[in-house]
Amino acid sequence: MLLTLSEDQTQILDFIDSLTRPYVGVPMHDTSFALTSDELDRELVEGGFLDVAGMPELGPVTAALIVEKLARLPFAIESAASALVRPLLDPELPRPICLVEEGQLRKPVRFLKAGATVVVVGATGVRSFTASEAQVRDAGDEVLYAYPVAYLNEVPADTRLHELSADELRRAWRVALAAEAAGLLAAALQSVTTYVSERKQFGRPIAAFQALRHRLAEAQVLTNGAYWLAMRAAGTGDAGDAALAALHAQEAAKRVGYDYHQFLGAMGMTLEHPLHLWTYRLKLLTAELGGRGAQAVAAADAIWG
Amino acid sequence: MNFEWTDEQQAFRGKIEAFLENTLPDDWEEFSKHGPASPALTEFARGFCRQLAENGMLFPHWPKEIGGEGLGPWEQQILAEVMWQWGEPRGGQYMNVNWIGPTMLKYGTEGQKAKYLPQISSGEMLWCQGFSEPNSGSDLASLRTRAQLEGDVYRVNGQKIWTSYAGLADTCFLLTRTSDDRKKGITILLVPMDTPGITVRQIPSLIGEGDIHEVFFDDVMVPVGQRFGEEGQAWEIIGYSLTNERLGIPRYHLARAALDRAVGMLKDAGDFTGDIVRAEAARCAALCEAARTSIYAIVQKRVDGQTVGPESSSARFATVMSERAVCEFIVEYLPEALAGGSAFLQMHHQRGIVAGIASGAAEIQLNIIASDVLQLPREPR
Repeated sequence: MLLTLSEDQTQILDFIDSLTRPYVGVPMHDTSFALTSDELDRELVEGGFLDVAGMPELGPVTAALIVEKLARLPFAIESAASALVRPLLDPELPRPICLVEEGQLRKPVRFLKAGATVVVVGATGVRSFTASEAQVRDAGDEVLYAYPVAYLNEVPADTRLHELSADELRRAWRVALAAEAAGLLAAALQSVTTYVSERKQFGRPIAAFQALRHRLAEAQVLTNGAYWLAMRAAGTGDAGDAALAALHAQEAAKRVGYDYHQFLGAMGMTLEHPLHLWTYRLKLLTAELGGRGAQAVAAADAIWG
Repeated sequence: MNFEWTDEQQAFRGKIEAFLENTLPDDWEEFSKHGPASPALTEFARGFCRQLAENGMLFPHWPKEIGGEGLGPWEQQILAEVMWQWGEPRGGQYMNVNWIGPTMLKYGTEGQKAKYLPQISSGEMLWCQGFSEPNSGSDLASLRTRAQLEGDVYRVNGQKIWTSYAGLADTCFLLTRTSDDRKKGITILLVPMDTPGITVRQIPSLIGEGDIHEVFFDDVMVPVGQRFGEEGQAWEIIGYSLTNERLGIPRYHLARAALDRAVGMLKDAGDFTGDIVRAEAARCAALCEAARTSIYAIVQKRVDGQTVGPESSSARFATVMSERAVCEFIVEYLPEALAGGSAFLQMHHQRGIVAGIASGAAEIQLNIIASDVLQLPREPR
């Protein structure tokens, strides 16, 4: 048991801090719901930050740390599937990596665009294909989620079958989901605590009212747990740990999301305040892999059979 | 980062588990329904802790010069997990291991160390903690039990309440007021419980017999040499000891063991097939494991020699959430557990329901998290 960062891990996270510094401040952005940056994406790829899981001295925990860190940025970056799932399939698969459950084509798919790798998991195993223009349907300009999303029109007949089992793919997907959610939860909490510490009503910061303090403190407890469960799941590679981490993350996201916007008052309803960039990504993550009920059942299966 | 136990750590856990399996009586589960502070368990613990001491398992994390094995905080945590999972066969002596011993080492005079450490480390000594008063619970600094220095003796008058183990303890770790200067006016006295003027009354409770008491102090005379630390130093000292105490009981571990046991019983009954019950059980497991990993992050800080700060309140609140979820799960799906159906689960319930109160109310932990972890502006007072 060793829960401190290795020197390599500390160094990598420091590199990411430097690299992402220009992207930490949120521009008072226009009416777009999601922020993306091709340049940031390119820099992360060139730095090799999304390829560490396969390196023996770094591995999946380092990948999860990177995903967690990047999720704190206001910008949406496709890092989780690339860093934690792709290495198990084929490290050369073109990004972005879009994870889809068989038979769930009605749901929006994060980062989907022509040229993306779509990984489909289901009863027939794990398959992938490169999405064509015709297979991708634009979701329009008013998607509330702070991810770029699109719809998949079809899964083509001609796909590549991977050796990885569906269970193993779902395990890695859960770790990816949990690590990303942990970073989003941390950033959303930070954003809210800053606001409520500055916003005054009745002559004092609203953070000085216990009604908010206790709920934020509980949110901190859940957020901390989400972080550690995600890291443990990445480290052990255990299916039960992965399901518990994803479950806890989805539970926490559901528990805090509405509160956070409520604490910001009407400011929490605007696009001007960046909070939604984290919470509305979290919201879409709560829908992945069937949601928290499905994660809970998967955890029970893994733990108790 | 590495989330696996080392071979040595696994062997250490195995050694303690094997010792318990060989040493505890066959009817231990039924017996453990007696609270940790019950006369039966206290009497049992005196012999049992002596055996632990003889086998190097009472204070393995203590320095060798005072009878320990010099093992680290991970081993301390493993030891605590195994003991608590079995319903704490050390009874009230767990306090010696977790905080009285370390606090004695740090703040005791040479005379006090010479007097108490051998008694503690032989597994013979039981303490009680004279903190709460009828009007001083969470607001502990308002306590009023008065200690008046008369020559070289303190005259103590006042009342304590909710005092665990008071009925059978040898000595009380007593907080008294020596001046009106709120936190700076509180002084610790180590008071033998057979001193004239002390009256103990047991309070019947949900958590097992002998667990909570009222203690009255009427002109109790305590030699000045029994003062622990300086006058007015109590707040600093209990701050140190509570940091240990808050992590001291690995409640997440018993909660998880109770959950696993409950699931086993449901499976045996053919009632662990529906998605609803399975999902509820998994939610409990997630909370237990979230608490466990949060606590482990703090144990790691101890291993690294770092000061443990307000994050211990966060980990403790996580533990409260796990206990609460498991207690509720068991009542909802195995109501028979609290009506004679399972000694182990009843034992767990009686230990578990105090999680949000013992060693500081959960709401106080939330206050600490808000102020010192999240750094929110403080509430006006």
